[in-house]
Amino acid sequence: MASVRQRTDKTPAFLLESLRRALQVPDTWWTLREVTRVKFPHTQLHVRDRAMDKRQVGSDAQLDPYVQHVITHGLSRRSFFTQAAGGVAALGLSGMSAAAGLAGIAGGTNFARSSDGGAILDFLPAPKVIPDGDIKDTKSFDIVVVGAGASGVPAALSAAQSGAKVAVVQKHPMPVSQGNTGTGIDLATTDKAGIAALIALVMRDNQNRSNPALLEEWALNSGEAVRWIIEHARQGGARVIDQGNEQQGAIHKVNGYTLNYVTSYFGPKPYNTGDGIIALAKVAKKAGVQFFYRTPATQLLQNSAGEITGVIAQNADGSYTKFYAKKGVILASGDYQSNQAMCDYFLPDIKHLGRKQLDRTGDGFAMAYWAGGVIEPIGHTKMVHDFDAGPPSMCDMPFLNVNRAGQRFVNETVGMSEMNNYLREAKDAGHYAQVFDANYMTQAATWPGHLIPPEGLKNYMPEEPGPKVDVFPSLTNTYAAATLAELAVKLTVDPVAFVATVKRYNTLVASGNDADFGKPADRLIPIEKAPFYGIHRHVCVSAICSGMLVDLHHNALNAVGAPIKGLYIVGNLGGGFYGGVDYPLTVYGMSLGRCYTSGYVTGRYVARLGA
Amino acid sequence: MKAPRIINALRYLMFAGLLVIAAASLVGVARTETPPRGPERQLDQVHSLAGVKCASCHVAAARSAPVRMETCQTCHASAALASKTAEFKPTNPHNNPHYGTETDCNLCHHQHQASVNDCSGCHTRFDFKVP
Repeated sequence: MASVRQRTDKTPAFLLESLRRALQVPDTWWTLREVTRVKFPHTQLHVRDRAMDKRQVGSDAQLDPYVQHVITHGLSRRSFFTQAAGGVAALGLSGMSAAAGLAGIAGGTNFARSSDGGAILDFLPAPKVIPDGDIKDTKSFDIVVVGAGASGVPAALSAAQSGAKVAVVQKHPMPVSQGNTGTGIDLATTDKAGIAALIALVMRDNQNRSNPALLEEWALNSGEAVRWIIEHARQGGARVIDQGNEQQGAIHKVNGYTLNYVTSYFGPKPYNTGDGIIALAKVAKKAGVQFFYRTPATQLLQNSAGEITGVIAQNADGSYTKFYAKKGVILASGDYQSNQAMCDYFLPDIKHLGRKQLDRTGDGFAMAYWAGGVIEPIGHTKMVHDFDAGPPSMCDMPFLNVNRAGQRFVNETVGMSEMNNYLREAKDAGHYAQVFDANYMTQAATWPGHLIPPEGLKNYMPEEPGPKVDVFPSLTNTYAAATLAELAVKLTVDPVAFVATVKRYNTLVASGNDADFGKPADRLIPIEKAPFYGIHRHVCVSAICSGMLVDLHHNALNAVGAPIKGLYIVGNLGGGFYGGVDYPLTVYGMSLGRCYTSGYVTGRYVARLGA
Repeated sequence: MKAPRIINALRYLMFAGLLVIAAASLVGVARTETPPRGPERQLDQVHSLAGVKCASCHVAAARSAPVRMETCQTCHASAALASKTAEFKPTNPHNNPHYGTETDCNLCHHQHQASVNDCSGCHTRFDFKVP
């Protein structure tokens, strides 16, 4: 008969465990010792112990690995203190309470610092004290939303529908948004395995730097959110349809599992999501939300316990209004593409690229940072596109591409959304042209994408008179010409170099062998027969998609991973959703889908707090 | 043989007279002609010649603080301005999808330096002449 073996042997693990129990030392500290001893043998453990002694070791030590990574390597008011004190990457700092952490910030610095403390970041100045005499008015709400865009307006309406008294402060004179398509997953007709497979796919396309838990949160809420957007925007008079799977052909099945989508489409152009959000704001206003336009938020109100109690915003005449927020402030102020110093620091690659949006100065970043929030580590994600110069369905087609110097510069199988990486310098500044000849309809017939025939191409040609459909007429940039030299002039490329480039290209095509750039032979078609066509794409920054650390309720977290009470972050100001070099086009409409979803769920969540 | 002294004196007088007339005519032009509209003349001169004093715009305590668009709007109401330029081609700059009728005047219209066409960075074919 077998007996239960007693663990009385003298193994190191057993002895250590007995000692731990005898001394009643919390588990974390011992785990820390073991890990550092085994994994980091060169660590000066005695230094580590003294540092640990100063901290209270809490029980909530099991931080999500993504969160742990961000608080270690991201930018926060505490981050460089952490690095200096720790040595080894900070494990188990959770014992530090939020208040204690922030109180430790000494002084004298009026600017933010890089995560290693080495650089002073003058684009994040500490908020100036606003004297009481400049505060003209004080108002009180349950929730104050900062920013009336694709995440802020949904947050406000959603909160109002859950019974909250809501204010929205917006720097522009009206709600502002852009794009057309916002996508979610239809849970009822989608395999669970399909969701997991899609998340894995998006993780891969984010260069594995995003937080899969946040992607899952989107996946599980987005279908409901997008349907809600369609329904309510329509009530406000928006022109919107559900395109279902129309744009999601490539991800209808992932790894053999089925997914189905809810895809809101505000259009056709020039009507777009900007108009849709204006319509949604009408519905929000009817539901009792108060909008304050031309009223930029300038700083958060934070009490001595580190809780966010409201926000101060500037009125059009220069005076200030204090907005108290009993349940929370939801920051929805978007990205920082218009803040040159901030871009130079986080995204030097976009230094010479144009911007599509206006006044995105990253106001929410400064506010959240100084409230104790954490900016995602360097390696921010850019979205740099031109869907407007020519047919969107032809944007990735691997015709000959030339730069402004008239030269071929890339293997043209690189898609439009990544082309910016080859056009970063000032001499290129995001400009290139797709070039093809009169035979393109037959010769590119088997290529992925959708060819637009010559009559339809006229829709994108500024030189062609007549009304245009589903475009922004001032942004179209497609041309036809009888000769290559004429085409070059219209495309603003060097004509002499261009003619030589086409000649060289045709030689490669004839040989069936792209010795210069290695493009597959079946993507090599000659440029010989007039008329010659060119689509002059000018890729510019649509958005920057990296931001502040949040948990799964979009509650901002501080430098020890603890929630900052009363502070919520939605839309592109929130972090953890991307992280690759470029915004992935895996899920068409993911950006707006995520904005809508994060606003919708957070408005509802915060409104129901304390209920 | 030199000209008689009286002839020389008359020549000098004529020359001086011509100079005086030339100078007077130049000054006269500057003083009495209406300032031209459009980009030839900076807006600070246009406003000044129209009788607008510096202090009318620079109302903030700090004189060098930027002048807010609300100040411009006391004379140039934005809705009325948008109507006035409604027929501009290719588009009405004072009513646009970015700011409606509330585009900050200062984006394009500078006072103490030449004005710029702020639209043209993205909209290359918006060839406005900006006063």
